[in-house]
Formats: sequence, C-alpha cells, structure tokens
Amino acid sequence: MSAPVVETHKLSMLYGQSPVLREIDFKLLPGYGAFVIGGNGAGKSTLLRILAGMAAPTAGGALIFGRDTRRMSARYRRRIGMMAHQSFLYPNLTARENLEFYAALYGLPEPRVSAETWLDKVGMAQFADARVRAVSRGMEQRLSAARALIADPLLVLLDEPFASLDSDGAAIMARLIREALDRGASVVAAMHGVPAIAGTDFQVFELARGHLGPFTPKEEETTAWTGARIRSLLHR
Amino acid sequence: MSPFAAVLRKDLRLELRGGNSTLSLVALSLMVMAVMVFTQAEAKSHDAESAAAAIWIAMVFSGVIGATRVLTAERENGCIRGLLLCPIDPAGLYAAKLCAAFIFMAIAEAAAMLMMVLFFNLDFGVPLLRTAPILMLGALGFAAAATLLAAISSRTRAGDMILPILAVPIYVPALIAGVRATAAALGGAPMGAIAQWLKIMVAFDILLVTAGCLLFEYAARED
Repeated sequence: MSAPVVETHKLSMLYGQSPVLREIDFKLLPGYGAFVIGGNGAGKSTLLRILAGMAAPTAGGALIFGRDTRRMSARYRRRIGMMAHQSFLYPNLTARENLEFYAALYGLPEPRVSAETWLDKVGMAQFADARVRAVSRGMEQRLSAARALIADPLLVLLDEPFASLDSDGAAIMARLIREALDRGASVVAAMHGVPAIAGTDFQVFELARGHLGPFTPKEEETTAWTGARIRSLLHR
Repeated sequence: MSPFAAVLRKDLRLELRGGNSTLSLVALSLMVMAVMVFTQAEAKSHDAESAAAAIWIAMVFSGVIGATRVLTAERENGCIRGLLLCPIDPAGLYAAKLCAAFIFMAIAEAAAMLMMVLFFNLDFGVPLLRTAPILMLGALGFAAAATLLAAISSRTRAGDMILPILAVPIYVPALIAGVRATAAALGGAPMGAIAQWLKIMVAFDILLVTAGCLLFEYAARED
C-alpha cells in the first residue's frame, strides 16, 4: 500500500482563544481526492493553508509526502499546487505573463510554451494578452487554476474551486480535477456546497465546529444544483 | 530562466508598465535638493558638506519609497504567498527584490546627482565621479535594510510610517559614514581619508544583505 500523501495527527489550530480546527486526523492516498465541506468560518481554508505550509498549526502536525509542513524544502513545495481565495496573480501583468512567470519559478523548461498550453486548457487563449486587472472574477479563477496546476503537482489543494465560475468554467475545473487524479495526483478541495462523488477515488468530509468527520448528505442536498451539476461534470 | 531573473524581470516589467515609483523617486529627489538649496540660501549653501547632506537625504527618502513599492506590489492578490509557495530559495527571492529596489534607487540617485551639480554649483569632474561608488554602496545598504523591513511593514496598516522608523535607525552608522565619505570626495580629500568611511559602509552592506537573505522568509510570511 502506498504511503499517504497527506497525513495529519491531532491537528489543531487556534485563532486567539477560538479553536478553528480540533484534533483532526486525516489521511489521503496518492491518486485520491477529498472534498472538505463546511460553512463559512468552518476552518476549511485554514486546513488547506496548513497543508500547503502557509500556516503552522497550534498543536499536532501535518505531513505531506512524509514531511512536516512546517519544514518543507523547495523540493517538496514543488509537488504542491495551491489554488486559494486569492488568485496570486499580478493585476498589471497579462494572463500569459503571469503563467509564464510562475512556470519559470517552477523551473519548467519552456515557460512560454507551458503558459500557452494552460491558457488553452482553461479556455483563456483569446484573453492571453489581457491584463488580469481587466478580466472577470470567473476568468481570474480559471487562470488561478492554471497557475496552481501548471507544474503538474502531485498534491492539488483547491479552496472553493467552483466559486465564481459559469457552467463552462465549472466543466473545465471538473475536467482539470479529473485529469489530476488520472495522472496519480491527490486532490483536496474545500467547498461550501454539497459534494458529488464520482467513483470511489473521492472521499467526502464535513468540517463542523472544528471537527472533521465523514459527510452524510441529506436527501434534499444530493439533488441540489451544485452537487448534481458537479457530479455530472466529474463523470464526463 | 532562474527564479532570481524571473522575479527581477517581473518587477522591472511592472515598473515600466504601470508603476511610477521611479518617477516619484526622481521628483522627490528634486524636491529635497530644491528645499535644501533654498533653506540654506543665506548660509554656507554651496559647499561639499551641504551637497553631501542633500543627496543623502534624497537617497534615504527615495529608498524608503522604492522598497515599499517593491513589496506592496506583492501584497495585491496575495502574490507574496504565491511566491513563498513556489520552490524557490527565499534568499534568491530577497536578492531579486533587493536588486529591483536598488535599480530604482540608482536611477533616482543618478538624477539627484545631476541636480546636486546644478543646485550646488559643482563641477562635473573627478570629485563627482568619486562620489558615484559611495552612493552606490549607500544605495545597496539602504535598499537591503529597507527591502527586508518593508516585508514586515507592508503587512501593517501604517506600513508607510513604520518603515522609516525601523530602517533609518538601523542605517544610521552607515549613513554617517556615507555623508562623511561623500563630503570628503566632493571636497577633493585623498582616497585614504575616504577609505576609512568606505570600510564602514562595506561592512554594513555585507551585514544587511546577509541579514536580509537569512530573515526575508520569516519577515514576508503572513502567518
């Protein structure tokens, strides 16, 4: 059995005196996806930031590829692609320049070619020379996904990946998630809405009052637009 | 392309495209020079010491603004987080930001030197040429301190105010050495007299650049 890509041990996080995450134990194997569902302020983004090494837990710990997230070297950071609430894109650079810049930082051999390829993949080729400042939120979200995935990371962390996307954008995002899983990457996606499970390679968790547990959908939730729509997109 | 080159090229591109920080620095330098000349009109205005003081005042102000701009651009859309997530050495990232801040300061200083010659009625000649390496050393040291500290101050609401409060006291010894060396160079003093001040500046530059390389990752982190 493969070693887990993500493994947390009694992971806890406090903001001031308020606990956001409480003793979370979680494992994710290579090639599997996990949806973490929770309401506003549930701690989903905090969990992803800890897994990305952007924040340190108050207690417990998280291992990514067997390494403590607090001491991840560049070699291990290269394996992680993170799509956060903020796009990490420079508003005064064009879509192409932004992707080319990040491709260069990830040491890809042909940054320009990689940028062009990913602009195509996220349906943004015609806006390649538009400055990020001038594109819509949904388009920026697509570019943010391209930025996160441009180096083919082995662990993909997505914070609200379907937010602000129209149906075409949601289809593209679902395809990108599926492609990442197909090439053996693991995916952790934090979402507000009810998840949809496409196949057995997805686990769904609910984060509530700081505790992470298995998610059991209510009948009305499984037929909600987000769940049904995303499920059908992922099955394509 | 190395990460260092990629970050530097991106910063220069942003500056050429939308930024006006270099123009602001040049305008600020012009203002400082003009104020210094007019406020000293009835004193011993046109001597080497006054000129040296004026150009260093201009340099410190332009350094504060230049370093702030270089780091502020990274806060928009959380780009600094994106950079720190990338598999790049934080020291390389710091070096690229320092290099960008230094280039902006060097351009402003070149303009300030020209104004110094005009406002203080100096000659274009060997003494002026001897001030160039002194000012470059000064710009490097101040940019090194200001870039590191701007990584902290740009996270705060009153960052523009905090940066000079943090940076100037740290830089005071090198500032004194720089002003003395510049005045000596403009006054035609022998190299031996200038060298003792230059040693202090070089030592400070090494100290500040090393501290920046080691500490930038922690200064830039938001968590």
